[in-house]
Amino acid sequence: MFTFLGLGPLTWITFLPILGMIIILLIPSGEDDLAKAKSQNLYRWITVGVTFIQLVISIFLVLNFNLKFAGVNDPNSMQFVERANWIYLSGLPLLGNLKIQYFIGIDGISAPMVLLTTIVSFLATFASWNIKKSAKGYFSMYLLLVTGMMGVFVALDFFLFYVFWELMLLPMYFLIGIWGGANKEYAAIKFFLYTLFGSVFMLLVMIALYFAVGSFNMFDMMDFAKYSHSSILYGMGSNWRLIAFAALFVGFAIKVPSVPFHTWLPDAHVEAPTPISVILAGVLLKMGTYGMLRIAWPMFPDAVMYFQNWIAVIGLVSIVYGALCALGQFKFGKRDFKKLIAYSSVSHMGYVVLGMASMTTEGMVGAIFQMFNHGTITAMLFMIVGVIYDRAHTRGLDDFGGLANKMPVYTGIMTIAFFGAIGLPGLSGFVSEAMVFLGTFKTYPIYAMIAGSGIILGASYMLWALQKVFFGKLPERWSGPWDPTHKIYKTDDVNLVEKVALVPLVIIIIYLGINPNAMIGLMSNSVNHLIEFVKLSGQVAHL
Amino acid sequence: MTITQSYLNNLMASVGYFAPEIAIVVTFIVAILFDLMFKKSKNIAAYISIIGLIITGFILSGNIGISKSLFDGLIVVDPYSTFFKFLFLITTILIMVMSLSYKELYDNNRKVGEYYSMLVGITFGMFLLASAVNLITIYLSIEILSLSSYVLAGYTKEIRRASEASLKYVIYGSLSSGIMVYGMSLLYGATMTLDVAKINVAILSGHVELFPIIIGGLMILVGFGYKMSAVPFHYWTPDVYEGAPITITSYLSVASKAAGFAVFIRFFKDLYLLPATSDINIWNTISNFHWQTIVAVLSVLTMTVGNFVALWQENVKRLLAYSSIAHAGYILMAVVVMTNVGITSILLYFVFYMIMNLGAFFVAQLFANKIGSDDLKDYIGLGYRSPVLAVLMTVFLISLTGLPPTAGFIGKFYIFTAVLDKGFVWLAVIGVLNSVVSLFYYAKIFRNMFLRSVADDTKNNFKFSAPAFPLSIAYVLAFATILFGLYFSPILNWAENSVTMFK
Amino acid sequence: MYLTTFGIVLVFFIVGALFVAVGLFTAALVRPKNPTPEKLRTYESGEIPMGSPWIQFNNRFYIIGLAYIIFDVELVLLFPWSVVYKTLGWYSFIAMVIFLMILIIGLVYDWAKGYLEWDKPNPVIPQLNELIIHRKKVNKEN
Repeated sequence: MFTFLGLGPLTWITFLPILGMIIILLIPSGEDDLAKAKSQNLYRWITVGVTFIQLVISIFLVLNFNLKFAGVNDPNSMQFVERANWIYLSGLPLLGNLKIQYFIGIDGISAPMVLLTTIVSFLATFASWNIKKSAKGYFSMYLLLVTGMMGVFVALDFFLFYVFWELMLLPMYFLIGIWGGANKEYAAIKFFLYTLFGSVFMLLVMIALYFAVGSFNMFDMMDFAKYSHSSILYGMGSNWRLIAFAALFVGFAIKVPSVPFHTWLPDAHVEAPTPISVILAGVLLKMGTYGMLRIAWPMFPDAVMYFQNWIAVIGLVSIVYGALCALGQFKFGKRDFKKLIAYSSVSHMGYVVLGMASMTTEGMVGAIFQMFNHGTITAMLFMIVGVIYDRAHTRGLDDFGGLANKMPVYTGIMTIAFFGAIGLPGLSGFVSEAMVFLGTFKTYPIYAMIAGSGIILGASYMLWALQKVFFGKLPERWSGPWDPTHKIYKTDDVNLVEKVALVPLVIIIIYLGINPNAMIGLMSNSVNHLIEFVKLSGQVAHL
Repeated sequence: MTITQSYLNNLMASVGYFAPEIAIVVTFIVAILFDLMFKKSKNIAAYISIIGLIITGFILSGNIGISKSLFDGLIVVDPYSTFFKFLFLITTILIMVMSLSYKELYDNNRKVGEYYSMLVGITFGMFLLASAVNLITIYLSIEILSLSSYVLAGYTKEIRRASEASLKYVIYGSLSSGIMVYGMSLLYGATMTLDVAKINVAILSGHVELFPIIIGGLMILVGFGYKMSAVPFHYWTPDVYEGAPITITSYLSVASKAAGFAVFIRFFKDLYLLPATSDINIWNTISNFHWQTIVAVLSVLTMTVGNFVALWQENVKRLLAYSSIAHAGYILMAVVVMTNVGITSILLYFVFYMIMNLGAFFVAQLFANKIGSDDLKDYIGLGYRSPVLAVLMTVFLISLTGLPPTAGFIGKFYIFTAVLDKGFVWLAVIGVLNSVVSLFYYAKIFRNMFLRSVADDTKNNFKFSAPAFPLSIAYVLAFATILFGLYFSPILNWAENSVTMFK
Repeated sequence: MYLTTFGIVLVFFIVGALFVAVGLFTAALVRPKNPTPEKLRTYESGEIPMGSPWIQFNNRFYIIGLAYIIFDVELVLLFPWSVVYKTLGWYSFIAMVIFLMILIIGLVYDWAKGYLEWDKPNPVIPQLNELIIHRKKVNKEN
């Protein structure tokens, strides 16, 4: 183990943002304009610094990751484990022992997510460059959000997981609500209520599991021999177990979001500021599917097998319905660029759910890989929207056209992102979607065929949008430079800060398209183990 | 030895354990006398009361772990009552400290000596109530508590809404205590004893008619429900909470409610439950009457009505009043199971509820000091005018909603644990749905503070903060809210060890 | 005839009512009727009442009345105490002194606050808080 000040890398990667937040809160925001600008700059750089260190740590983690260890339900093969008693009360007269641990570690499922979180949160800092309104509040909330997200991906104690899960609600509410667009109040509270609605049921299931095994340790909860006979969750395939799984699944599906729990997402995306859309699409949605893999699947394998078909249908509906909604933007909607991408997110996350429901190695690996790819590609798409929104202050697709000549570099980057989203071979999105199809085809061949229509629909709305924005005639009002005074934007094309945010993502998308094994190798062992475990314990129940 | 002699011995043996209450009475008298003697120093009664209550706390710590019946079974000292007494003491001291910086109270050059001594008087009533095991003591202590609260609710008498609050409080209060006394007389008539434990024995003997016992219990429930502000006995709550001085509002919402719960739990546990099974599977009621169902209905009604009516409130005090009704509903959920785990969770919840609710009311008071209003619409933009206070308020509201990492989450978590422990899944589901609803109206407050802002040029846009001393108290409460959300072992331990009641 | 306990009470009521009724009736039969204005007064040998009795009493009347009642009730406790204090000794003596002290402090409080004066020396006429009036106005304007 590599420790610094007695704390392991995962603790640092999780709580470093809190440290940054405290520093930011201690720096006064300044009275006059000059001091304000100065401190604003300081906040920005602290955030960049903190997220950069996180990125370095996460790369270090991935490089030192032992690919042989599977993890999932085996605490001994988790890596970078840190474990300490948090609330430990023994010999309580009534509850017996109460044991809540600070228990963190990663395996092949969480490692890609940790990497994704650090990449996205680091790059989204650059998208936050233009935040002027109470920068102190913004960056402290931003860092708190990063801690919440990171904590969810590393926690191995259910209680800890839940605390992190809820911790990120409040900063998200304020980030959308204060720095958002016109309809921000509605979007923010809708996001808050939806997610809380899902998570309170998770709380009840968590308590029920606690009564079953007597601790909050996730591995205990996956060990069915430990279940107490008096618990309502005892006995594989019992009704209470199915209900508990359904409650858990809804809680996670709201976050994914799967149809029919998706309606908060378009609102939140449209109203959120660019960097928050990036985080939301890039990381937050993955928390839902990650939660399914980490908690719902291995803790309720019997229920997974029971509901397998329905889960696949939910994934399938999300794919097709999301894509149709995105396409419908051209016909019925306001042709809002962000809304288009939001619906495409619903569609793309549908692949993840479908892949996870397939219960095959290909499908599951594809699902996790798709989580990573969707994170990078959609983050990029939202940044791209942010770039023109900052300049033109509109996101309407109809307001643009012929930008290719005005912003050639921008057009190039955007084309790559769009093709990545469509799933063009050679880019990362293709590999993961193909694997999901392969896996699904083994289990549900018909679903795979229907899901294929999602690709076609995806291609049509993406290309349509591309055509609208970049080709055709440049509207009269954009013929001049974006910023005639040249104070903010010296050139019409993407500036340096935006390049710093976008280019690494381009590289990742292309690299993983050519060499997907770099990521697949990381997770294949864990995924195989997970599938084996779920199938085995799930089938035992149905015999 | 004569009867009087033995009675005297009992008395003298009891007085030692009664020392905390005696200390409170002495504090009360000294505070009044000093207030009369030193007319120039305005806050002398406040200082004496605070010091007196702190001394009481030290004396009370001598009673920790002691389980004893005093004064021939009029009251008992047990860990359960001692826990509540500490809760009352801390609440009262905090309220007194908060009142020192309350502008509305000190307006018009008002004399405040009685205000503080009345608070001491309420504390005395609550102390007795937590210990009472005799119908007479229960009634007397409820009356001591109520009479002082009536006066305090209307203390700022030139403010019309305060007088209105006080009057409504008196009328509703006397109605409910009248019903309660009638219920008590029924119990006495049926069993010929006022001692709660003896009534239990009498019922167990089987020679007693059960009808008056049940009707009497229901009537007494009205009196307790009034103190707990449980629906449908909650009608006074919003008006009184809105009208009373804000410090008194927060006091009533925490201490008076806790006292109501303290006596309610003890009374029903001692009177209607089979003693043999009192530890494990409770509500094996002796009369085959579904008390559990009644309390469950009460709980669901209380939290649902509290939360849903709070959704439409436009006044922060009134909103917090309805929220406190809802919280009573959450706590009642744990009464439904009546296990020791349930009672532990109630004790735990009250500690956290005290911290967060006092904090929220206190920040509302500090706002009212500056902006002269507690209307929701006047809170617009406060996040930019007074960022520190607004952030503190948000911490308390988040805790009231029950989101981690705050104390409120731990409190709710334990209540749901207790409820699920006994398999009341439906009740827990209603509970969690209610807490989702509650988010909406708590969010209204911090939405107005942060998400909306007033135009820069209006004269209402001055920036402000609070003086150092009140601010530091708010800081301490907020810190405790977060600290107990992350580390609650000592409180849990203390609560676990305090569920033992004297039998 | 078998009378229950309540039956005895009922008989008591009936007999009581009869007793009063018979007495009044007999008196009305035998007494001379000679009404003069003096005889029709409320207090035949007292002061002549002025004005209507349906007036609001001064609040102060109740305060003084309360103070009186406290000491009135105190006597109820003092009588039984005086019977047994010899057996109980100094302890009970001190206890009663404390009890009386508390009551006396209450009286002193009344005195010092001027509640025993029939006309309060410097009455403060309550006035509505200006802040509240202002708020009401603002609310109406909106």
